[in-house]
Amino acid sequence: MSAATGIAAVAPVARRVRAYFAPVNRATCAPTLFDPAQSGRFPLHAPPAPWIDLGWVGKFVRKCGTKVSPLLAGSPAMAVVQARSEVDATVSLEFDAWGKLQLALASGSQQTNLLLPATSAAANGSGGVAEAPVPLLTGTGPASTATGLNVGAAAAAQFSVGSLVAVDADYTGQLGYIGSGVSAAYVQSAAAVNGDLNYIRRVTLNVSVVVAIADGVLQLGTPLLAGAPTPGMQVSPLLGFCDREGASFFQEWSALFVLEGEQGDRVLVHYPRLQAMQGSAEALDSLSVPLERIRLAGAFRALPVKDTNDGETVVCFRSYLPAALREI
Amino acid sequence: MQNAKDTFYTTLQGRLAALNPARTMVLRGVVRPSTLVDENELPTASVAPDAFHLEWTGLRVDSSAALPLVALECSIRYATDGSAGAAGMDRGRSLAAMDAELAAALGAEPHSAPKQSYAGATVTTTGTNIFWADPVFGPATQDGERLQRTVTVSVFANQEAGEL
Repeated sequence: MSAATGIAAVAPVARRVRAYFAPVNRATCAPTLFDPAQSGRFPLHAPPAPWIDLGWVGKFVRKCGTKVSPLLAGSPAMAVVQARSEVDATVSLEFDAWGKLQLALASGSQQTNLLLPATSAAANGSGGVAEAPVPLLTGTGPASTATGLNVGAAAAAQFSVGSLVAVDADYTGQLGYIGSGVSAAYVQSAAAVNGDLNYIRRVTLNVSVVVAIADGVLQLGTPLLAGAPTPGMQVSPLLGFCDREGASFFQEWSALFVLEGEQGDRVLVHYPRLQAMQGSAEALDSLSVPLERIRLAGAFRALPVKDTNDGETVVCFRSYLPAALREI
Repeated sequence: MQNAKDTFYTTLQGRLAALNPARTMVLRGVVRPSTLVDENELPTASVAPDAFHLEWTGLRVDSSAALPLVALECSIRYATDGSAGAAGMDRGRSLAAMDAELAAALGAEPHSAPKQSYAGATVTTTGTNIFWADPVFGPATQDGERLQRTVTVSVFANQEAGEL
């Protein structure tokens, strides 16, 4: 249908792809659904909650592995009807930024935080036994929030501006998915993780960086994924991150990719459930010999959800929002 | 095409003036931001220093789509002698400042602007945007005591029905 004053429709021209993350509740297998009819026009730098900006991604490639098979009849045999015999979709991309989320998603498995090791801890590939965590104060001073951790003046002296911190509950024998905000790992038995009090903080994605310290409160540069700390959570300083080829856990996330058209149109690609389908890998981008930029390469397989509008089981939603006054 | 050229010029001039309001020049007796389109000014052999000179060079038209896609190449030349107070010894810094201003103006989001027509008595906004690619910075060259650089950027626009 054409409007009398409409402008002819043309192919979208997009500069880059922006990626957004939201958690999947692994215990209930409930993804975060993005509704393009309600929120499709959000500003790229301010996604609607609970979506988190992952920044720009490159080499964004979607592949459809769905197989359509003909059913033949007659002589000579002719296709009389078609059937989908297999539905499959994958996504590969390269993250521009090396943040905790990007690293965890691209690693393909659980990613550990390199917690500050205890004195004389034995060497270990993903970090030795961690030093004792720092408790959050309650009833003394301000309550801790997603961006401010009240550890008290004495404990605050252990931290400095630039310190990385992991904030989560103690491990006390929990089984199944663990990690606040985002399921970070799956524990099969307490013995498997040595009953380590710090194990949840070792794998949690609830991390941030200290940007200021005042009156015993650590001010964080980015809000904690899980929001304000709950009672019992503690703080562990960390040095960096580590992932392992061969680990057993599959990271799963709800993904949204936005291709912003230069004419004001927008393509949104939403995968409610993406699981990593490869181990950690890097892509090298030559800057100038011998310098190379190292991007995080990730590849993911889409898992199904049910569209409540018609009960169809699907793996991906692609939405297109035309620019104003375009013919459609 | 003229609308695309005019829109890119006014957009870039506005962004550069916002980044450095002090970068002004006197042209035909008027103090104005130091961004100009050479083809819109009186012919001259000289290049005013500390100003951004736009020249429209290449042109490609892809008529395969419902709205032809026009690709214009814009060359932006700028030069500096440095300041008299520093006897020109700050000309490298002056050129770096102009490099940074231009990179920031062209790199800022969005990389597009509503295409406008300046043909009539009042400015009218058309139905499409212009947009541009990343700039390509040429080498800095020396002409006597003057440092200069040329930057090229591809500017794109859809040619709307009835638009010349």
